[in-house]
Amino acid sequence: MSLRIDFVEGSRIALTSLRAHRLRTLLTTLGIGIGVATLLAILGITQGLDSSFEKQLASLGSSSLYVSKYPWVMLGNWWEFRNRKPLTLDVLETVRQQCTLCVTAVPTLDDQVDLSYHDKQLIAVDVTGTTGDWLTVSGFEIVSGRFLSDVDSDARRMVAVIGADVAQTLFPLSEPVGSTLLVGNKPFTVIGTLAPKGKILDQSQDLMVVIPFNTFKGYFKGRRSIDIGIAVESAEKLDEAEDQLVGILRRARQTPPDKPEDFAINRPEQLASTYQQLTGALYGVALGIGFITLLVGGIGIMNIMLVSVRERTREIGVRRALGARRRTIVVQFMLEATAVSALGGALGTLVGLGGAKLVSLVTPLAATVKPGTVVFGVVFAAVVGLLFGIWPAARAAQLDPVEALRQE
Amino acid sequence: MLIELLDISREYVVGGETVHALDGVSVGIEKGEYVAIVGQSGSGKSTLMNVLGCLDTPTRGAYRLNGKDVAKMNDDELADIRNREIGFIFQNFQLLPRETALSNVELPLVYRGLPSKERRARAVEALTRVGLDKRMAHKPTELSGGQRQRVAIARALASQPSLLLADEPTGNLDSATGEEIVKLFAELHAQGHTIVLVTHEPKLAARCPRAVRLSDGKVVGDGPGQQIAFGPGQAAS
Repeated sequence: MSLRIDFVEGSRIALTSLRAHRLRTLLTTLGIGIGVATLLAILGITQGLDSSFEKQLASLGSSSLYVSKYPWVMLGNWWEFRNRKPLTLDVLETVRQQCTLCVTAVPTLDDQVDLSYHDKQLIAVDVTGTTGDWLTVSGFEIVSGRFLSDVDSDARRMVAVIGADVAQTLFPLSEPVGSTLLVGNKPFTVIGTLAPKGKILDQSQDLMVVIPFNTFKGYFKGRRSIDIGIAVESAEKLDEAEDQLVGILRRARQTPPDKPEDFAINRPEQLASTYQQLTGALYGVALGIGFITLLVGGIGIMNIMLVSVRERTREIGVRRALGARRRTIVVQFMLEATAVSALGGALGTLVGLGGAKLVSLVTPLAATVKPGTVVFGVVFAAVVGLLFGIWPAARAAQLDPVEALRQE
Repeated sequence: MLIELLDISREYVVGGETVHALDGVSVGIEKGEYVAIVGQSGSGKSTLMNVLGCLDTPTRGAYRLNGKDVAKMNDDELADIRNREIGFIFQNFQLLPRETALSNVELPLVYRGLPSKERRARAVEALTRVGLDKRMAHKPTELSGGQRQRVAIARALASQPSLLLADEPTGNLDSATGEEIVKLFAELHAQGHTIVLVTHEPKLAARCPRAVRLSDGKVVGDGPGQQIAFGPGQAAS
């Protein structure tokens, strides 16, 4: 007898049997279904996170470097970083003179300060002190008014350029440019507003105010280490520029050759790689949970198939007596196990997609599921059924027909 | 010769002890014969039936069925032989409860790989022969005992086997229904079918043209049914 007949007849028997035991089928599919649903929901959420984070990172400017005392991702002893020599304007000047791959370099200083305008207030807003070329480095754009000029800085003018979120909150109805707001307790005249850039990991980039570098220095006292923002010709030149900068900075800061760098060159991709390490671990845990659930589901299937084989021992005997080969019986039971699992996989896929969709509706996490993931879910469930069906099916096929016929 | 059993032995090892279920059985059955195998329980007749039906293989001896040496066949070959050469009729019918009468009768033909049209035609014909053409769509639970056994007989006939092998076919039926089945066997015999009927009932064996009596795994009598059926010292009335 041909294998094709085994499959055709086996499928028919499997479907009849599944229909005959609806409740049992449902419960068995649940095990596998929950596994697939968990797997898909978590994969969907992590995939969604990834794609939205990629977009967010692109907004940081893809060809910029930031030289600072502190690395963005701090590993190790904070005090070591704290005790580093500060970066100074002299160093900035050296970079400007010697770095051939740098398009522009600007000093920046950062702090947090409260803003208010009439009765409206914003607490702990990022304030940056910098110079005219900062737009090139940061990738921000002006939507109204103008940006800071070097003259503003030299003259220590009390002027400010505000981020989109600040503009929206403090000036919901009026035009901000020309108005005077309080930065801390000092009045600043708004000379321009920035185009919105969106959020990175739920943190707004637009809740900020930019003031002239020297104004900042006069306002926030104390000897601070500046950060240097550098725009490089293109993203491809970033590595080359970083190498060049390391040399320039080591010489300028007289770092001994046998000591590691006492400064950090930060790049947006560093955030990306840190993020990927994080989500990589999350992925791993998600897959682990999914696999364990599928394993449990698979054992459930094996259990139910063993029950099914026991219940239908006599039927197996009859089929064998009438000419079914061992292979026919194996195929019949494997198909049944596979069918239950695939059904569970399909159910789980629906629930998983629904779950991911729900998460993206009620939380800021965006969940996207690639079509390949869906196929993976169903096929994987079917394979689980196939694997866990092998043993029960083999047991069914090994039954002695004489013994099987005698079973009540 | 359709069936040639030559010095067949079948031994089981049960709890370390060897049981001789069959001990040197030699029987020949011609095509078209109607033979009862009779004996008390434990005489070895069930084992003989399993060997004849290719459900079991002998420990020793030769078994030729329709010219083929069955004793040395592997499991797949035995399955194919059962499918083509043997029509089983069991005491408890052994129908699949979830399938209709028609599907039950089609089953051996499915395993033979016949196309569904031919299967259907043959199954309908077989059910008509046993008088169940009006009950084909019924499931076994919707049929009486006699009707169930007729379905089982139709299933055996549908595969057009060389041998109809019946194991206590009236054992689960009341006497009137049993009588109908016995008559049906006589008809089938008259039509040229070879029938081997395994029973412990001397009355039933007595109505067969030939009977083989087994005791302790050995053939102790072989001859016309009326002489052999009641055993030594038990004359037919």
